[in-house]
Amino acid sequence: MSSAEHLIKQKFQQFYLERNRTLFSPPAASQREYGFLLFKGKFMVRHRTFKNPETLLTAIRDLSPAHVYFSTAYYQDPTASMDQKGWLGADLVFDIDADHLDTPCTIMHNWKCKACSTVGKGSAPKTCPKCKNDRVEIETWLCDRCLQEAKEETIHLLEMIFSDLQMGDANLSVYFSGHRGYHVHLHSEDFRMLREEQRREIVDYLLGEQLDPSLQGMEDVPEGGVLILKGPQWGEPGWRGRMVRGIYEVLTKEGENLGLNQAQLKVINAWDKANFFTKPFWSSLKGINAGTWKNIVQRAVRETAAKIDSVVTSDVHRLIRLPGTLNGHTGLLGVNVPLERLDEFDPFIESIAFPEGQVKITVKDSPEFRIGSQNFGPFHDEKIELPTAAAMLLLCKHKAEPTS
Amino acid sequence: MLTRADLAKYPFVAEATDYVRELGFSIDEIATPEFSPVLDRAERRLEEALSKSQISVEVSNESAEILSFPVSNLILGLIGDERARRRFALAEAKRAYDLLRQESPEKLEHIATTTFGWRLERLDIRLGLRLYDFGLNLADFLRNSVHLREPRWNLPNRVLNHGLVYVTREETARLMEEEVRMRVLERSSKVPASVPQPLGSKVERARGLVIKWLGIPTQYELPKVPMPDAMPPCIRHLIDNLNEGKNVQHMGRFALAAFLLNIGAGDEEIVKMFKPATDFSERMTRYQVEHIGGKRGGRTKYTCPMCTTLKTHGVCFKPDKICDTIRNPLSYYKRKSRILSGKGPSREFS
Repeated sequence: MSSAEHLIKQKFQQFYLERNRTLFSPPAASQREYGFLLFKGKFMVRHRTFKNPETLLTAIRDLSPAHVYFSTAYYQDPTASMDQKGWLGADLVFDIDADHLDTPCTIMHNWKCKACSTVGKGSAPKTCPKCKNDRVEIETWLCDRCLQEAKEETIHLLEMIFSDLQMGDANLSVYFSGHRGYHVHLHSEDFRMLREEQRREIVDYLLGEQLDPSLQGMEDVPEGGVLILKGPQWGEPGWRGRMVRGIYEVLTKEGENLGLNQAQLKVINAWDKANFFTKPFWSSLKGINAGTWKNIVQRAVRETAAKIDSVVTSDVHRLIRLPGTLNGHTGLLGVNVPLERLDEFDPFIESIAFPEGQVKITVKDSPEFRIGSQNFGPFHDEKIELPTAAAMLLLCKHKAEPTS
Repeated sequence: MLTRADLAKYPFVAEATDYVRELGFSIDEIATPEFSPVLDRAERRLEEALSKSQISVEVSNESAEILSFPVSNLILGLIGDERARRRFALAEAKRAYDLLRQESPEKLEHIATTTFGWRLERLDIRLGLRLYDFGLNLADFLRNSVHLREPRWNLPNRVLNHGLVYVTREETARLMEEEVRMRVLERSSKVPASVPQPLGSKVERARGLVIKWLGIPTQYELPKVPMPDAMPPCIRHLIDNLNEGKNVQHMGRFALAAFLLNIGAGDEEIVKMFKPATDFSERMTRYQVEHIGGKRGGRTKYTCPMCTTLKTHGVCFKPDKICDTIRNPLSYYKRKSRILSGKGPSREFS
């Protein structure tokens, strides 16, 4: 273990040892599998079970792991090997991660060639300009903009869950992961027994994957001897209405090309968009035929889909971060975000685990960042003393070493 | 709600099971003359399914029509031939579909909710050209729709509103067909402890029918040495990408390794394939290949992911004609290797 890891582990332990510390306890906590990623050797301890939150906390206090996970699945015997566990169902979970979003600020982030360690700023080149290797890695950073986008995407996902997927009884929680994303957990008897292939259908639905507009109501209908293009209208349920809202969004966006020619663009620009809300518009735009509409719809679907991580939702044996525990990538807490507070939730304030003290560190290189209401950096080869939470972030991100 | 004529049409419904129970007949009575129409009809049900994948509706003797259904299942359970069970389940399901799609919404709703336990709501909503009679609970929909391959059954192509999938009357009947198929398959899988004496000769005759119509089960052996020409487009694309030093995502790597292991490639051969990968680590790759092969970790030998999974994760690549007929890259390989080795396309019974 490096000296940074020693210090992080020690701080984590202090955090968990606090007398009033309690952990989040998922429903049917004793039917879950738990796993810990240790600092030492990046070793994963898994297939564990705990009778109650107290024994789990004791184990965490002992091990002081970098990450704590629990299974979204329920098992008869969580400690058995994978095929002997006796699967009893799983929560339906969604993961929104800034890494999967096309955040505009990637241009401000750094990249690094894993082969020759060349670093650069801005959007990463396909191959390293120095050694021509393609192992160029984008450095993820905890930036306001990325997390804001992730939060907006989460809100968008929730809207889709509530309007399309949701059945009455489901109990839904949102968590900030302590790093670059949000998790949504749905505890529902209805969804619990869904198998992988069934969950994948839900994934495809939320992503609008392989959506065929002609099966969502876009079709030529004979009317008075001629074929008239008809399609869904504003306000209709599911993808029908969403498709129309998406079209409105992309058509009213500035600078979208949409593969239209000059004449078509002219027609669109001249068209009164208020018509969207009131009357059928599919056949009222001159020069825009079914083929063109399909391209626009494709773009509209991409615009309005919920950009979830497809693997997390379809995996029925997933281990996922236990809320209330520390994230070893940042030193921040994975926390529950009450739905009504999601809008105003500030991850840089509300997930701080180490609000007190100062730590002396030597920073190699770090972009600017915010912790609490204070901005820090950028730093370059300097010895400084920072508030613990800020120092922990740099230590966890391998940007700094403790100053001896 | 259901008449005896209905039970004859739908012998899988809960009321038909009650009816049989109330008659209280024991297996020994099966040999008595008054049961011979039941036994005959049970045998004909099987023969119709095996010979033309279609079972007729005989309304002239309602109780024989009702009672013969469990007897057919019993015989199939005793024979234990998977191909025959699948064929029978499919034929019974199609028979049900042909009848169900002519029924009133009320009757569909009754059978779906009482026998299948579906949560189904009457909607009568018109959207575009379609009249949606029902909203079906999402989980109930998915349990059945995932077996259906037309694009209209994919969830992104459905209307989904507050956990209800809008379905037309015809679609409801089609999903019920699927539910019937699964249930019949399940029923005929129950093997009774011993062959009830009076059924002995019937079982032997049915066994003969299975061989007559389906032949003696043969196991097509995959080629001993992996046959690159028989690999599906997605797998070949993955190999090409690796060779060109392009990055292949986790699911693609997993699919490739699992595929190769399942067609009999050796661990070393597979590890070598990953060498061009930019982040190649021999130790890690070997461990993972062995893990997928069931030699490490959880000791589960993994099979290749289904085509639907590969589609979701963007691994599917330029599907061709054979792809339309299979659901797993391994089936593609099996079929194509058979064609390439001159053994001709197989008869498929599933």
